Amino acid sequence: MFSLVQRQTTRLSHFFPQNARRFQSAAATSSTINAAEIAHFSRLSSSWWDERGELAMLHRMNPVRVRYIREKLLESTFEDHGEDARREMESRREVLKGMDVLDVGCGGGLLSESLARLGARTLGIDASESNVGIALTHASVDPQLSSSGSGNSLEYRHASAEQLVKEPKRFDVVCSMEVIEHVDNPLAFLSACAQLVKPGGHLFLSTIARTPLSYFLTILAAEHILHEVAVGTHTYSKFIDPSELISFFQSYRPSPSSPGTPTDSGDMGSGASPRPWITRTYAHGLPTRLEAEVRGIVYIPWTGEWKLMSRSSTPWGAAQCNYLFWVRRPMDS
Amino acid sequence: MPSDAYSNRVSSITDASQHFLKRIGVWDYVEHARTNPVHQMQVWDGISGARITFDASEIPESSEMARMTENLNLQRALLRKLSDTPSVQVIQSVKVESIEREAGDANHWPLVHLSNGLTLRARLLVGADGFNSPVRSFAGISSYGWSYDTQAVVATLNHAPRGPFQAPNNTAYQRFLPTGPIAFLPLSPGISSLVWSTKPHLAAVLSKSSPGVLEQLINAAFRLPETSLQYIYKRLLEGATSSEEIKGEIAFRERSDGISSHSAYASATSLVSEGGIPPDDADALPPLVTSIQPSTIASFPLRYNHAESYLGEGAGSRTVLVGDAAHTVHPLAGQGLNLGLGDVDALSRCIAQALTQGSDIGSYTTLMPYARERYFENHKVMSAVDKLHKVYSSTAQPVVWARSVGVEVINELDSVKAALMINAGAGSQLQNASGWDLLAKSIENLAGFTNTSKMIGSTVGAGIQELAKNAGQRIFGRL
Repeated sequence: MFSLVQRQTTRLSHFFPQNARRFQSAAATSSTINAAEIAHFSRLSSSWWDERGELAMLHRMNPVRVRYIREKLLESTFEDHGEDARREMESRREVLKGMDVLDVGCGGGLLSESLARLGARTLGIDASESNVGIALTHASVDPQLSSSGSGNSLEYRHASAEQLVKEPKRFDVVCSMEVIEHVDNPLAFLSACAQLVKPGGHLFLSTIARTPLSYFLTILAAEHILHEVAVGTHTYSKFIDPSELISFFQSYRPSPSSPGTPTDSGDMGSGASPRPWITRTYAHGLPTRLEAEVRGIVYIPWTGEWKLMSRSSTPWGAAQCNYLFWVRRPMDS
Repeated sequence: MPSDAYSNRVSSITDASQHFLKRIGVWDYVEHARTNPVHQMQVWDGISGARITFDASEIPESSEMARMTENLNLQRALLRKLSDTPSVQVIQSVKVESIEREAGDANHWPLVHLSNGLTLRARLLVGADGFNSPVRSFAGISSYGWSYDTQAVVATLNHAPRGPFQAPNNTAYQRFLPTGPIAFLPLSPGISSLVWSTKPHLAAVLSKSSPGVLEQLINAAFRLPETSLQYIYKRLLEGATSSEEIKGEIAFRERSDGISSHSAYASATSLVSEGGIPPDDADALPPLVTSIQPSTIASFPLRYNHAESYLGEGAGSRTVLVGDAAHTVHPLAGQGLNLGLGDVDALSRCIAQALTQGSDIGSYTTLMPYARERYFENHKVMSAVDKLHKVYSSTAQPVVWARSVGVEVINELDSVKAALMINAGAGSQLQNASGWDLLAKSIENLAGFTNTSKMIGSTVGAGIQELAKNAGQRIFGRL
């Protein structure tokens, strides 16, 4: 796996010019987890579920993320099975019923709980043991989440995406929200997340673009001036532009060492080159809508809500700061 | 209840509220024979007589301004709807003994202990439990407000049906007396409801008056000039409490005010026969009350109260307030129930949206849109109603003049009035805003004006009054 990561890193380093050196050095370590950041979030853990506390912004962001996931899954159902199937799915409250969903970097379980309530068999993993503890405690007092009778289930594990790749289990939906800007080796992290997606499955990411605006809003204003977010939460150089994610998936090939997908290794073994997740882009480097999407999300201070920007608002969906990224693994990759 | 007996607690359901009740399937359960549409509203000044008339025919695409019904009728409909909804469990004949916070460190849920020994653990505890809301106290939400120096007397009134030459009993009347507004709300052709807000000592006498007295006083209160009413109150408080005495006093005032016995303004001396050609102005006044339905006279204090927040936090989290638990308002504009229904509408939409997002419906973040949608909306209507009450409590000349001119000018502007009524919820486009709201806004600045004129010395004050009178005459001349 390391050799693969290194190969990709070399190939992709020009997309991440500022971080290229660090990617390569980080690839040599066994994990993408940064020790200093784990400690930082463990300190925050106790206040994870205080909706008016330090993570108020994150609590407010959650509904828009879930709404986006729902919207994209409905859209894909329409593409795959037509309007009737989409309607049927939309009419269900448990829109994710029967799906295996992985939440990478689940923190206190904010997103995982929502996904489980929507009917998904949800696994939340986090690199911080105390986060997993907080998430387990919080879910245990909620009968909706702890009862196993209803078919949906919620599980938490202290593990990294890289560890999960070594296991056979793959997922219909993999989410990793506000995580990639905190890991040391985003390329290896992305690759691990991608390997965990079933063919035809979905990968959702959310992060922050590396722009002057995002520096001003997320670091200068939110951390240092308004103190809405704890100082040290974000590191500017770790922010990732949408174009970088798109480039990654334009050249990403599934790992031949992936144990859970023998067909992949078979294909690789026979020398056939599998299809990348994003095959083409058009004006402004935008991907086609059925393969991937970038949508900006903007915090509206006077309503106290996050808003999903419309697709047409700017070429990058107003993704100058916080944005959501969706990409779908092709059925035949 | 027999079909001609009506409860004394009634509400006016605005079009917006009616749409909401239809949408949730409750309206079909309401006994429609016991509801009465209001087609017209006549509101006038107790001192100057300046009048504003709202008519549903001035609003496009609407036939009624609001619909009167007994609260009991609505409650019965809601209970029937609930018993037909299998997913809802109603626990009857129990009381809430106490509400406490679940033990544990973080994320504790409210526990509601019932008198039958059951304990409910609530993901979300909705406080729809009225002015003295136990849920609000549990949540530790403080509220601000005051008691008006006013008591409301309610009663169910019998009167003759309107004659063949008059519009049917679909007009609501309200006269703003300096002691508080008196309102006549039509319930059926021969039955209407009274809400008479007045000073507590008067309310005490009114609600305990001997048979035959209150109906005469109601008739007089809609008809006699303010000074004559003051005289009647005085006689009443001095102990003139028999029906005959009161009739004599009213007849005396009618004669001294020059009210002819054939005028619509006569009650004690009225010689107007029923069923004939009605006198002039008969439509400007409610029909003469003939009797009051037994044991329907009651009185209650009036308050203004608004919770500081609709959502519980910290130790009071997972609670939300709606209706009177969140806000209490003067009944003069009939907005209390409608504001409450607006709350419920907003809260249910908020929860429905949250369910599609897999949110925890008890969480503060989930409920924030509800509070944001309703808090200032309610505050706006409440303060408008409050200011109306205050502006009309004044007897100061400049205030009386200004409010009268304001109202008479608006009354002449049909398009403005239509806009006011559409806002009042008679049209369904806007939710629950009130025509009273805008009417109040147009005279809102008067409150400030009152204070200013009080501050200026009496000599200057008199000068201003003269000026105001002259200006008024000039404006009226042009009109």
